Amino acid sequence: MSTLGAVSAAKTDWNAMDDDAFRMDLRAYFEKEFPDHLRFLPRRLRWAESVDWWKKLSKKGWLAPNWPVEHGGMGLTPAKLIIYWEESERAGLGRMPDQGLTMVGPMLIRFGNDAQRANYLPKILAGDIVWCQGYSEPNAGSDLASLRTEAVLDGDEYVINGSKIWTSMAHDATNIYVLVRTDKNVKQQRGISFLLVDMKTPGITLRTIRNIAGHEEFCQVFFDNVRTHKDNLVGKLNEGWTIAKGLLTFERLSIGSPRRPLQAFEQLDALARAQHLFDDPGFVDRYTQLKMDLNDLSSLYGRFVEKVRQGIPLGPDISMLKIFATDTYQKLSELLLEAGDEYGAFADEITLGGDQIDLMSPFYISRPGTIYGGSNEIQRNILSKYVLQLPS
Amino acid sequence: MSQQDSSEHRAMLSNSVTDFARGADVARVRKLRETKTECDRAVWRQMAELGWLGVLVPEQYGGMGMQLGDMAIVAQGLARALVPEPLTATSVLAARVLTASDNNSLKTKLLEGLVSSDILPATAWQEQAGTLDVTKITTQATPFEGGFRISGAKRFVIGATHADGYIVSANSPAGLQLLWVPRDAAGAAMTFDALADGRQSGTLTLSEVTVAKENVIHSGAAAAESLARAIDHAAAIASAELCGIMSRSLEMTLDYMKTRVQFGKPIGSFQVLQHRTVDLYIQQELSTAVLADCLGVLDEEPDAKTRSAAASRVKARCTDAALLITRQAIQLHGAIGFTEDCDVGLYVKRAMTLAAWLGNGTAHRRRYARTEIIEGATA
Repeated sequence: MSTLGAVSAAKTDWNAMDDDAFRMDLRAYFEKEFPDHLRFLPRRLRWAESVDWWKKLSKKGWLAPNWPVEHGGMGLTPAKLIIYWEESERAGLGRMPDQGLTMVGPMLIRFGNDAQRANYLPKILAGDIVWCQGYSEPNAGSDLASLRTEAVLDGDEYVINGSKIWTSMAHDATNIYVLVRTDKNVKQQRGISFLLVDMKTPGITLRTIRNIAGHEEFCQVFFDNVRTHKDNLVGKLNEGWTIAKGLLTFERLSIGSPRRPLQAFEQLDALARAQHLFDDPGFVDRYTQLKMDLNDLSSLYGRFVEKVRQGIPLGPDISMLKIFATDTYQKLSELLLEAGDEYGAFADEITLGGDQIDLMSPFYISRPGTIYGGSNEIQRNILSKYVLQLPS
Repeated sequence: MSQQDSSEHRAMLSNSVTDFARGADVARVRKLRETKTECDRAVWRQMAELGWLGVLVPEQYGGMGMQLGDMAIVAQGLARALVPEPLTATSVLAARVLTASDNNSLKTKLLEGLVSSDILPATAWQEQAGTLDVTKITTQATPFEGGFRISGAKRFVIGATHADGYIVSANSPAGLQLLWVPRDAAGAAMTFDALADGRQSGTLTLSEVTVAKENVIHSGAAAAESLARAIDHAAAIASAELCGIMSRSLEMTLDYMKTRVQFGKPIGSFQVLQHRTVDLYIQQELSTAVLADCLGVLDEEPDAKTRSAAASRVKARCTDAALLITRQAIQLHGAIGFTEDCDVGLYVKRAMTLAAWLGNGTAHRRRYARTEIIEGATA
């Protein structure tokens, strides 16, 4: 993300602050101001739950730590940005429908034009618009480049037909950014463009999809002759694939964070104490292996974080972090259910020895991690091709 | 040393090791395997001249006074070339014990000898398989006016085929004693069992061996502590060796996959093999990340509990990863990987030898569980 390195004259120059002082400022604020009932939730926050915090952070100027100052962000250096993330994780801040901040903003700043930036960036910061991501299609999952939702120019407008699926939080979104096919006669990757669309445009319909845990987390979005002005094309025509690829690296670093598995590990600890499982050598063996795996995950994560801190661009090897983090998380969630014995089939939280323990949620939350953001098998293809340079 | 000096120094160290390893001859390694020794004194002397034997030894004794992070560079690089000389056993395990000694004249003589390669000491501390507890020994040191008489049997002594003497641990009424026993001491006898990689595991039998007062290295609780620390540090540097073994092994495998053709294509183009190799690569990268973190912890000289946890973390990860990667190297090479002539086997065997020394993966997870989990849970 090009904005990461950008530093410019700021009202408050956070980057000039001492690291510890900056950290303590964030910590105090997050501890005091974030609503307690939304901390450490086993799911993403809905927009209705997020909007107050969003606006509060926006007013304080702390909403977009990764954006440059001239666009209303904090313009943090990588080192300061990592402190910001660490403190957000520490305080258990829930994940808001944040596509506008993490994806659309940085994308427009890097690839958009002045009119797009002037139109969208202030609205994102104000919480007036909420974005969702239209990438996957029913027949283009792992093979994303085969996507078939198409856009045809008709006068000053693109006319879009097709459908997108697994669109997280689309039912909360006011806008969608979509990858569309704009040329069918070239290599797949070269005929894809990036469009911005208002969700209220006639021709868009939604079908919410319940996930395996019973939560309405994602949707299928249908486009039936949906018209969007040609000014909503981001970057050049047929260069959407490059833009989309560039946005994925940071997503993989964030998926690779040991934070969520560590939260699940606390549940395992509570269960083990309540059920006296530390007296069982069989359990201790498996528990120890996972605890050491988690420590080792932190070492690996730390290595990539250190690269970001030093301003070194992340390469395709980041895929290994995604694989190890999501695999470890799943193993942990599986041990949690097995060690729960009969309780391991209970749908809701259980109470043991005065502790509330949630055995089931980590299982559900950890499942899609090996699928989304490029399945772990796709990550292995990437590592094989670009890092190990094995032939195809 | 400033951070910049230190990173420059490490780069130089790394270059000299790479140069040496490039010239290192696998034929020599194979030849040594046929003999009852793993150490060529001429090569050992050359390693001394390059300063490697004294990386951890303070400058006043002729060493470089550097850190485990530096030592790891040397150990990792030499392991890649399968150099069999007992670097870690001598320059980490023995050197750490000797450096902690409060017997200045003996310490000066032995450390200077170690650094110059004139004296090769081997550490004979272990008696039982499966424990790293330095107090679990039965060798007795019975005091008399001039020193001690010691009797007992020491097992799994590494780097002993050319040793000029042994650092022996023994119980006495005044606690643990660490004693210097020259190779030719009356009543001391060493026998050897061959290890998988052609190196030798020594058994030292001691019957009424007389050790003069002047040859007491260290005594009491401080001696036990310095030995435990030396073992943790040696386990960490053995882990660096395992990283060298796995990286060379994976490189050979990848090269083979890119050139070996079956079904009209290089076998590296088959997805099932690609994904398996990626998983090996992830284990290698995890190992190096954990190695760097744990060496950093150890170099800060934390309390004993933190130190042991760090040593166990790195030895467990690197052992398991090296065993996995070298064994899969056989599989990915196919039948040729199972032949004596193929170097893959040499890496498999070195990995097994390093794995079993100073606690394998299971042993270290158990130790970690005892101190980091069970004691915490029952406290």
